[in-house]
Amino acid sequence: MTTLLAEAELVESRAILPGQWIGSFHAPHVASGARAGQFVHLRDPDSTTELLCRSVPLNTVDPSTGIVTLHARSGAIGRLRVGDRVGLVGPFGRPFEVDPRSRHLLLIAAGLGIAALRMLADEAVRDGRQVTLLFGATAARDVYPSSLLPDEVEYLVATADGSLGHHGPVTDLVPAYEAWADQAFAGGPMPLLAELARHAAGRRERMGVAHLGRKRGGGRPEPPGSATARRKSFLQVALDQPVGCAAATCLGCAVLGAGGVPLRTCREGPVFAAPELDWAALS
Amino acid sequence: MKARKRVVTSGPQTPARRTPTVRRIKSAIVPAARRPTSTTSDRARAGAPPSVPVGSEAGASVDLAVDLGRGLVLATPLIAASGPFGYGVEVADAVDLGRLGALVTRGTTLRARAGSPPPRMAAAASGIVHALGYQNPGVDAVIAKHEPTWRSWPVPVVVNVCGESAGEFVELVSRLEGLAGVAAVELNLGCPNAARGGTPFSVDPDAAASLVAAVRRTWDRCLIAKLSPGAADVRAVARAVASAGADAISAIGGVAALAVGGPRAGAVLAGPAIRPIALRVVHDIVGAVGVPVVAYGGVAALDDVLDYLAVGAVAVGVGTAALADPGLPTRLAGELEEAVVARGHASYRDLVGTARR
Repeated sequence: MTTLLAEAELVESRAILPGQWIGSFHAPHVASGARAGQFVHLRDPDSTTELLCRSVPLNTVDPSTGIVTLHARSGAIGRLRVGDRVGLVGPFGRPFEVDPRSRHLLLIAAGLGIAALRMLADEAVRDGRQVTLLFGATAARDVYPSSLLPDEVEYLVATADGSLGHHGPVTDLVPAYEAWADQAFAGGPMPLLAELARHAAGRRERMGVAHLGRKRGGGRPEPPGSATARRKSFLQVALDQPVGCAAATCLGCAVLGAGGVPLRTCREGPVFAAPELDWAALS
Repeated sequence: MKARKRVVTSGPQTPARRTPTVRRIKSAIVPAARRPTSTTSDRARAGAPPSVPVGSEAGASVDLAVDLGRGLVLATPLIAASGPFGYGVEVADAVDLGRLGALVTRGTTLRARAGSPPPRMAAAASGIVHALGYQNPGVDAVIAKHEPTWRSWPVPVVVNVCGESAGEFVELVSRLEGLAGVAAVELNLGCPNAARGGTPFSVDPDAAASLVAAVRRTWDRCLIAKLSPGAADVRAVARAVASAGADAISAIGGVAALAVGGPRAGAVLAGPAIRPIALRVVHDIVGAVGVPVVAYGGVAALDDVLDYLAVGAVAVGVGTAALADPGLPTRLAGELEEAVVARGHASYRDLVGTARR
């Protein structure tokens, strides 16, 4: 119906979990230069009911073949057949920033939040870092299959009904890894992210991390929203907000930042350093 | 004595200095020059005639000008509705704004507003439910930042203004007084009226009329009153604002709506889902008043534009659909011109009001 800015062909599609789907697209224009945490805009040109593009985080990217996989809720998009062409533009947004000195990465995800973190696990393993993934789900049938993860990733599961792994919320598993981890990355529902952010805020005091540097307080503060600010914060979160235009114009994806300043998920996010956001207003 | 050896680590040119890496964020919109042109199969699917560039010899003779009153003449009836293009500067390098009749800005308030908490949007059948909470930097910041840019643009900029009381509207509009970059103001009468417990101005003919009359006293250029649906009799509201001094009426704003798990307070439904509602409201307003009527509501294709013209609107705005496809408003402007030519009319006004006769 509409002219699409950029198209991609679906080359493989499979349902991985109830209501969740992974599709592989041939999209060299997206694959080149994409980084973990960024997202794309996906639109089924023949859908009459889904008006806007859907923002979907990049699941895996292979720049050599131009294959991009996306992990999303099924819906109308999940009914696409292999060979169908969809509108696929991106990548958009700011990526996760890994400190070059970080050796141990802690990934925390619940539900579809894993979609944003999967690519980070790939990159970290490739760079020789140790990765632990803590995954939370309501029941065993919703647990992300370990076969979809790189072998090098240590994978722990928590389920709300105790049907697999730890019985309880995924946040119960975090304290055991808090001292081990150099950096943490999270994706999932807002209450989980808020809980993790609260927990991460008190980490320095609990761990007794020394304040090094020439001045007390570490000199100049990092400009908010900068890559350095994200790299230096212990916890980075990937928000899953519906994005309207991805051009930083419509303000439909804005969330409240720590200073009361609205931040657009599509431009200043979707990856934020935990202290950048106003968690009291968000949860 | 031997001269001390100097170690030269680089050539005669100045040593390479470290420069900060600036990672450019990709725009969502491919700039106009690079945008792939739609293929023949796309056009065939859309049922559109083959493209003729605007300004070609075929199009030059067609009269598309729209007079909205007090000297505001639009070059074409296709305009960008309030919202999707922000203040225009966000999309200026990707969209050829000069091909639009006017650009209506995002809703602007007297003081800066941080907007609603997330989630602000939810998908609905053929539309979106959204509540942005009037996020904007405030009128003074908008003027300081964007007004000088607007002056240099060929497209007239209409500032959409929002407020909670007549006093707030008047003060806001007085700040815009005398600025060359502002061609007109559009009063968003869908704003909650604090004096009536948050009832929108547009459902109450008296409140709407007194607001328009108050603004009319400070604003001597084109004044557009934007009505929302929901009034018991929209014709009464239209008559009230027209007699209070509005030069033109635009309709409709979003339809009050709700999405469970989505936006909460003040949410509205926008997009093609509201098109039949908007068509009826525009039809009724045109029948009630003599001022020009600008139609908004779910415009996504040329047929929608022609429908609104057929019920009597003189100009048509594209809103939500431009979010998914920012090139749509300019493309529709070109398609409208082609349609006028193809039907053998000299002026697009031959298409206006055809469904009323």
